[in-house]
Amino acid sequence: MGLNETVYNLIFKRTSTMTLACIASAFFFERTFDLVTESFFEKYNEGKLWKHIKDKYQQ
Amino acid sequence: MLKPANPSGFFKSVSQVVSNQLNVGKQIAVLPKSSTVFAPQGSNSLTALSRSLPSGNVTISVGPAVSSQVRWAHTDIQVPNWDNYRRDSTKRTDVKNLDTEDTRKNFTYLMAGALTVGSAYAAKSVVTQFVSSMSASADVLAMAKIEIKLSDIPEGKSVTFKWRGKPLFIRHRTADEIKQEQAVAVASLRDPQHDNDRVKNPEWLVVLGVCTHLGCVPIANAGDFGGYYCPCHGSHYDASGRIRKGPAPLNLEVPHYEFPNEGLLVVG
Repeated sequence: MGLNETVYNLIFKRTSTMTLACIASAFFFERTFDLVTESFFEKYNEGKLWKHIKDKYQQ
Repeated sequence: MLKPANPSGFFKSVSQVVSNQLNVGKQIAVLPKSSTVFAPQGSNSLTALSRSLPSGNVTISVGPAVSSQVRWAHTDIQVPNWDNYRRDSTKRTDVKNLDTEDTRKNFTYLMAGALTVGSAYAAKSVVTQFVSSMSASADVLAMAKIEIKLSDIPEGKSVTFKWRGKPLFIRHRTADEIKQEQAVAVASLRDPQHDNDRVKNPEWLVVLGVCTHLGCVPIANAGDFGGYYCPCHGSHYDASGRIRKGPAPLNLEVPHYEFPNEGLLVVG
């Protein structure tokens, strides 16, 4: 209850703070989401990407 | 609204009286006041006969055009139930709705915020992808730079390379040429530029071999000024690539270049 009230009054009550919170979390969300999807892609394609087979062709 | 003096009289028209949730004071149907008809008293006296006549307000209460059926609000009218659409916290009987208001609002705004964040990310990705699709691709970028070993170019020689589809002149200038170009009065030039502004290292002149007049390729070590000469329309450039004579309006273009280490030149 106390937490909900604080969060509501601080963030969601005003459009300005809500927008600010959205922009700030979009920044972090982008980093995290890109990192997660990228690492998933690399794990899924393990051994197929150039950086995985680079050693065989380069010294 | 008509408030019936004797409501029980109305309930006689239904077989069963069921309590309803409607306000009894508000009548749905307003019945005409029934007129009283006295039955003949078995006498043919004047008074008895006159009493058998209808009196008062005479209205038709039965007939094809008159609805004689009276319907009351019964249990067949369902009270709408919105429970499926209500938040769980509003169904609780032990908490006031006002106390859980923030929780409900937070949930709603959190959902809206999550949608906003997701849309912002998607929109940014789309724009970034679209804009980056317009930039040069990796193979083009790989060809965009040229590395030149300066030790291969002897002093006093101008060498031509192909760079981004255009000829590139690298000139290893002698000390005399440097001195001569440094001494030229800038004010006397058509496109005034001091030699120091055109070279990073005075020994090396790097210019594009495209005449600024109509795009021919000038000839090195030719012309009146010992630099370049365009055979097409006779533009003379000096050893700093500046236009000195002829129709060309501008000096030869200096591309972006740098010397990463001694003896190596990277253009692009």
